[in-house]
Amino acid sequence: MEIILALGIGVLAGSGVWLILRPRTFQVIIGLSLLSYAVNLFIIAMGRLRIGVAPILAERAAGDPAHFADPLPQALVLTAIVISFATTALLLVVLLAARGLAGTDHVDGREPE
Amino acid sequence: MPISPETVLIVVIALPFVGSCLAALFPANAWNTEAYLAGVVALLALVLVIATYPRVVDGGLVQYKAAWVAELGLEFNLRMDGFAWMLAALITGIGFLVVLYARYYMSPADPVPRFFSFLLAFMGAMLGIVLSGNLIQLVFFWEMTSLFSFLLIGYWHQTAQARDGARMALIITSVGGLCLFAGILILGQIVGSYDLDRVLAASATIRSHTLYVPTLVLILLGALTKSAQFPFHFWLPHAMAAPTPVSAYLHSATMVKAGVFLLVRLWPALGGTNEWLWLVASAGLVTFILGAFLAVFQQDLKGLLAYSTISHLGLITLLIGLDTPLGQVAAVFHIMNHATFKASLFMAAGIIDHETGTRDIRRLSGLWRFMPITATLAMVAAAAMAGVPLLNGFLSKEMFFAETIEIHDNSLVDQALPYIVTVASMLTVAYSLRFIHDVFFGPPPQALPRAPHEPPFLMRFPAEVLVLACLVVGIVPAFTIGPLLETALRAVLGPAIPAYSLRLWHGFTPELLMSVVAIFGGVTVYLMLRSYLLVNEGPPLLRRIKGQRIFERVLVTISWRIARRLEGLLGTRRLQSQLQLLVGSALLVGVVPLWMRGVRSEGLAPAAFDFVFGMVWAVGIACALAAAYQAKFHRFAALILLGGAGLMTCVSFVWLSAPDLALTQLVVETVTTVLLLLGLRWLPKRIQDFARPARTASIIRWYRVRDFAIALAAGSGLSALAYVVMTHPQPDSIGRFFVENAYPNGGGTNIVNVILVDFRAFDTFGEITVLGIVAITVYALLRRFRPASESIPVPEQQRAQDSYDETHPDRLKGDTIKSTMATPVLMMTMLFPVIGSAAVFLLLRGHDLPGGGFVAGVTMATAFILQYMAHGTVWVETRLHVLPVRWMGIGLLLAVSVGAAAWLFDKPFLSSSFSYIDIPLIGTVPLATALVFDLGVFALVVGATVLMLIAIAHQSVRSHRVPNGGGPAVSRKTEVR
Amino acid sequence: MTRLAEHLMIAPVVLPSFAGAVMLALGGEARRNVNAALNLVTTFTLVAISIALLRAAESAPTGVAGVYRLGDWPTPFAIVLVADRLAAIMLLLTSILAAAAVVFSLARWHRVGVLFHPLFQFLLMGINGAFLTGDLFNLFVFFEVLLAASYGLALHGSGSARVIAGLHYIVVNLAASLFFLIGVSLIYGVAGTLNMADLAARMPAIRTEDRALLEAGAGILGIAFLVKAGMWPLCFWLPGTYAAAPPPVASMFAILTKVGAYIVLRLWLLLFGAEAGASAQFGGEWLLVGGMATVAFGTIGSLASQDMARLAAFSVLVSSGTVLAAIAIGQVGVTGGALFYLISSTLGLGAFFLLIELVERGREPGADVLAVTREIYGEEDELEDSHETGIAIPATMGILGLAFIGCALVVSGLPPLSGFMAKFALLTSALNPPTGPTPTAAWVLLPLLILSGLAALIAMTRAGIRAFWASPDRTVPRVRVIEIVPVAVLLLLCAIQTIQAGPIMRFMQATAQSLHDPSDYIRGVLGSAVDRPDSRRGQT
Repeated sequence: MEIILALGIGVLAGSGVWLILRPRTFQVIIGLSLLSYAVNLFIIAMGRLRIGVAPILAERAAGDPAHFADPLPQALVLTAIVISFATTALLLVVLLAARGLAGTDHVDGREPE
Repeated sequence: MPISPETVLIVVIALPFVGSCLAALFPANAWNTEAYLAGVVALLALVLVIATYPRVVDGGLVQYKAAWVAELGLEFNLRMDGFAWMLAALITGIGFLVVLYARYYMSPADPVPRFFSFLLAFMGAMLGIVLSGNLIQLVFFWEMTSLFSFLLIGYWHQTAQARDGARMALIITSVGGLCLFAGILILGQIVGSYDLDRVLAASATIRSHTLYVPTLVLILLGALTKSAQFPFHFWLPHAMAAPTPVSAYLHSATMVKAGVFLLVRLWPALGGTNEWLWLVASAGLVTFILGAFLAVFQQDLKGLLAYSTISHLGLITLLIGLDTPLGQVAAVFHIMNHATFKASLFMAAGIIDHETGTRDIRRLSGLWRFMPITATLAMVAAAAMAGVPLLNGFLSKEMFFAETIEIHDNSLVDQALPYIVTVASMLTVAYSLRFIHDVFFGPPPQALPRAPHEPPFLMRFPAEVLVLACLVVGIVPAFTIGPLLETALRAVLGPAIPAYSLRLWHGFTPELLMSVVAIFGGVTVYLMLRSYLLVNEGPPLLRRIKGQRIFERVLVTISWRIARRLEGLLGTRRLQSQLQLLVGSALLVGVVPLWMRGVRSEGLAPAAFDFVFGMVWAVGIACALAAAYQAKFHRFAALILLGGAGLMTCVSFVWLSAPDLALTQLVVETVTTVLLLLGLRWLPKRIQDFARPARTASIIRWYRVRDFAIALAAGSGLSALAYVVMTHPQPDSIGRFFVENAYPNGGGTNIVNVILVDFRAFDTFGEITVLGIVAITVYALLRRFRPASESIPVPEQQRAQDSYDETHPDRLKGDTIKSTMATPVLMMTMLFPVIGSAAVFLLLRGHDLPGGGFVAGVTMATAFILQYMAHGTVWVETRLHVLPVRWMGIGLLLAVSVGAAAWLFDKPFLSSSFSYIDIPLIGTVPLATALVFDLGVFALVVGATVLMLIAIAHQSVRSHRVPNGGGPAVSRKTEVR
Repeated sequence: MTRLAEHLMIAPVVLPSFAGAVMLALGGEARRNVNAALNLVTTFTLVAISIALLRAAESAPTGVAGVYRLGDWPTPFAIVLVADRLAAIMLLLTSILAAAAVVFSLARWHRVGVLFHPLFQFLLMGINGAFLTGDLFNLFVFFEVLLAASYGLALHGSGSARVIAGLHYIVVNLAASLFFLIGVSLIYGVAGTLNMADLAARMPAIRTEDRALLEAGAGILGIAFLVKAGMWPLCFWLPGTYAAAPPPVASMFAILTKVGAYIVLRLWLLLFGAEAGASAQFGGEWLLVGGMATVAFGTIGSLASQDMARLAAFSVLVSSGTVLAAIAIGQVGVTGGALFYLISSTLGLGAFFLLIELVERGREPGADVLAVTREIYGEEDELEDSHETGIAIPATMGILGLAFIGCALVVSGLPPLSGFMAKFALLTSALNPPTGPTPTAAWVLLPLLILSGLAALIAMTRAGIRAFWASPDRTVPRVRVIEIVPVAVLLLLCAIQTIQAGPIMRFMQATAQSLHDPSDYIRGVLGSAVDRPDSRRGQT
């Protein structure tokens, strides 16, 4: 099972990297989004793979760590998601502005001669 | 009241700097005040120096030490012995005379504050050099002299010569200075201290050390550049672009002496080796001859004096290089003599320049009639320079000759030395004679810029004093210079001073013969060359070689051309290469440790294979790859595919028992997609171009292969890491604590949420700040947004709709869209309250079940956006006033103040407390301060998300003008749909 | 330490965020003057606070002024802020630079775009947080805060150059942030903690099978920091961005690279010190080589740059590389010297970035390029005209010139300003280790620093002569007092640093000492958990 998840992470990351190495701004933004998916899954994976043990206490009492997935990576991912959402939005606007000012969507602001 | 000599030292060194600061404050036209100030400072310093004389006679020492950076063996250490005293007297004395001279030389139009300020500062720095008892401190002042020399040479910076001369002087002397710095650092490393006395004491250690030669070379580079020795001599003539007082002071009497001063200073520690003999002596000899030779052929008075200065410094260096006590005696003696006669000569040259308006020897002649006194002064000084008896120059020349006759290493050069120097001395005599004869004798001058006449008395006075010194020393040395020299030599050579005599007449000695030969030879040389000199510019052989040009070329090549090429080679301005490097290096540091230590999966019992999950990822992978493939030309498709991948991520979060993540991912996914869609409106289509020349096509293919390799490596690397970690047993992680304490101490059953709003609320605090920052950045950026010209016109679909409406008279513009959108609009409008309450619900339950401030916020934001989509910007904003920025501010304030409220209970920031209350319909709600914090999060998120979306949406209602000035292609009321 | 002092520790983070929040709550740009006043007050308060913290840290026997457990949870589970000597000195440096930049910006720059003041406050919040935090993930968050703010400020006023440069800056740093996450989570997955001190304590006990993973994580994490620190070859985004940024922002950016260097210094010595067992000194050589390469590249770039802004940007690289290389030598004395150097060069460059804009004012844009070509093809010497009279430089030019000389001296490390002392401190302590022979690295560092200084001098002279001497007919720029005073103050501080080199150096040495022997730090952080085993107040 781990292998599938690992594979998924790998493919997301791979396609992400491929895209951020492309010359067009839109490709870069898509690539970064894919990468951030990969990274978020990776973080979860660092808490090891636990199925059906959502960290939500059944009864109002101290929980037993053995019965719940490690909640910390999830909290980290939540923060990461929010931040990557914000930065994606920013990047989008910047690339629009760049397209407007430079007249091209090449990442260097000018077509390679 | 009596002040201790130590304090005197401090005053002496501080005075000039204080004076310099004061001088800088006066207005540009206050040249009398300036001159008086500078004069008083110099005179005072001179008096103080003289006052300390009794303390330094026969080996006495005045020293002042103060802690500076004890850790690094650097202390503020002023140290005056006989030798330093002599130099200090020279600096302050000639300094005073130069100031006096400058008072008359500088024209009232000159901005004198700058001049005197720099001059005094230089005096201070120079005193600093000679009075330093710590070598680092010496370097400190050394570099400062370079700086002020630069500023003084560049005083008349409107001429190119002044600028270039100044820069050359600065760069060459600073290169030397930095070498000296390095040398001193190594010396300190050898000796274990930078203290001068310690260094001088450790001479044996130094000479035997393996690093002796590099140290010596570095220090010599410092000294020889400063004293304009071959091959670094060429900066000095160009430094003559400075005002004459500067040339007289810096570039003959004092600064250029710093080099030879240092050599004499360190001779006891570094001297006494063949390296010293060869390096120093040969540099000196070559400079001596070359300088004299070039001096003969100069047509500019100051140029002649400059080269003769170089030559005389070479003579001194040669003496020091000969590496014998007597050599040092002669060197020290000649330092003094040269300073006196050369300074006075420069002053004379300045006077001539000042009174006649030219310095070109060919244009000058017969000035004797017009300025007899100046002429006399110049003649005496020149005679001293030539080494004519009864003048001080003669005495040191004699010593010099005597020294050259001695046997040193008995090499061929050593044996030939007397003859060589005699010939060179002929040249000395020749140019001295030329200076006198061409300028003062012969027919009266034709067509001078000004009618020559004697200068005012006080302008002559300084030169007169110096010339007098030449005479007195020359005639009765034993009574005048004798004791001072004795004192100086005690400091250099210790008690064992070799026997030397300052008498005029030693009988018929070889050196006397050499002098005589030199003088008569010189006269003949001059007579032979005269006709040549009257017409020609520059020396016969070396005319082509221009030190300056070579220097400029080298400098430009190294510091500009090569640098440019290297920058292009080692750097890049392309983003793609940067990202390749970034990913590449991350891969490297990630892989190398695994490689070195080797790592394997520990085959922990893997979770049972789940077909559904497999399918999910089959889709996910497909989406990712497809998105990667499509992103260039089919952006919309890519966007959808991206969403697909996101969705799969979302599903796997559920599967990985992370419901909160799933929820959040879902809403974020939605908003991001909306955002990107809005953005696409302003991103003109890419038209796929197939017509590409084969060559570029192949290059591009190669790029793709390379990038694919990188991507493949990165992907597999990450998945390998993930896999290995997942199969390793989990360490005892701090995660357990949160599970155990979430309810008892955090009051929530949704552990993740408790972590977010309580355990690690500080992270959330920062995270929402990021969101806020980005939102206002987006807003700020879009206020100045200039869209691509192609994307300004109304989009095609809309044009189609409108045109349809226009063709049908019974329809109003926009009817089509209205009718088609009627139902969705209704639904969206109805949804508003629903979504709103859903958001509140999510917010409240967050502490116990999946949900929370962020999710709620985004949900709320979507409610707003739906209204915008349904009715268009204008409609919405006429009805409800959303002030997103305020929402954000208030949200952040809420979060901060909740955190800070803990201070009232004397608890750290963000300490929470909680209890439960029952709300009908909703049920028991944990009323934790954490909830208020979450409320803050909610408010900020709503504000930020709405602000960003609206800011982009607004672009369509703004009127944009085409960048290239074309008429305003307005697209009003193009509501975002 | 009193309660007040305890809470004072978090003020550098809370105060700016509060100020920023208020500005937004007031409607953002609605009242710019109020914002300006708020910004000014806050920034100067921060100066005072950081001085107080510095004193506290100095007086504290362990050098740790305090450990602040957020939410009052026990370490290592809580996020902690740690104010030790290093953090305190960095805070002070930041706030001083910030004060200068704010005052400068009030003359005109805060008006070229909207929302300058809130962004500036958030930047301060991010930087201070990064200096104070003792938690890896929290560090990530603050990195994002300061980066987000820096994006906003780099784009302040928009314009083609800024947007294109900003695009590169943003993309590179987003990618770097992703690596940051990978590194942190990997470390967590292997070591099971995020608290730096706890991590350091766990280092020796890491299972050998996991050690490789941990090092990989640390390495990837390091990449993220080194991008910020601008180490070659990860630094190519820097010159463009810094040169294009508005002057007050650029002068703040002078400290951003130092944030990266700071983290490297902190974590490398904390995690891979002698106690790290098998991983001790991990990656040291790479850091050394990389740092030296950065110095070389920066030197070359500063020679090759045509305009002052790029020259300054490359000087940033030189200083950052010098610090990295010095850290990598891994000796207490050298680290102390590096800190001394860090202060000096940051102040100098901060002043320089502010000054450039003043000097460039009222000069025709093409001037520099022309001057360079003129220099390459050389111009025939003008006719000898020996009795010309000087031109009275208008007072403004005089002051600007003086300031420029000051900056040139600091940047190229010549006396009498602190640049020389800094280089001397670095080199002498590198050449004379307390024990054992001089390390080879020192023998490489010596010529490298000397040459970089020389190059800086040449480049600065070239630029200065162009700006001040070669164009006598240039229009004198209109400069306001509040623009030149910050520059003067920063340079004055450099002068003071020279005179007071003794005590300052002593402080730096003590700081370096406690960095190289982090036991005090670790005990300080983890110990405070021992004091109060369960510190939670009973539920209300």
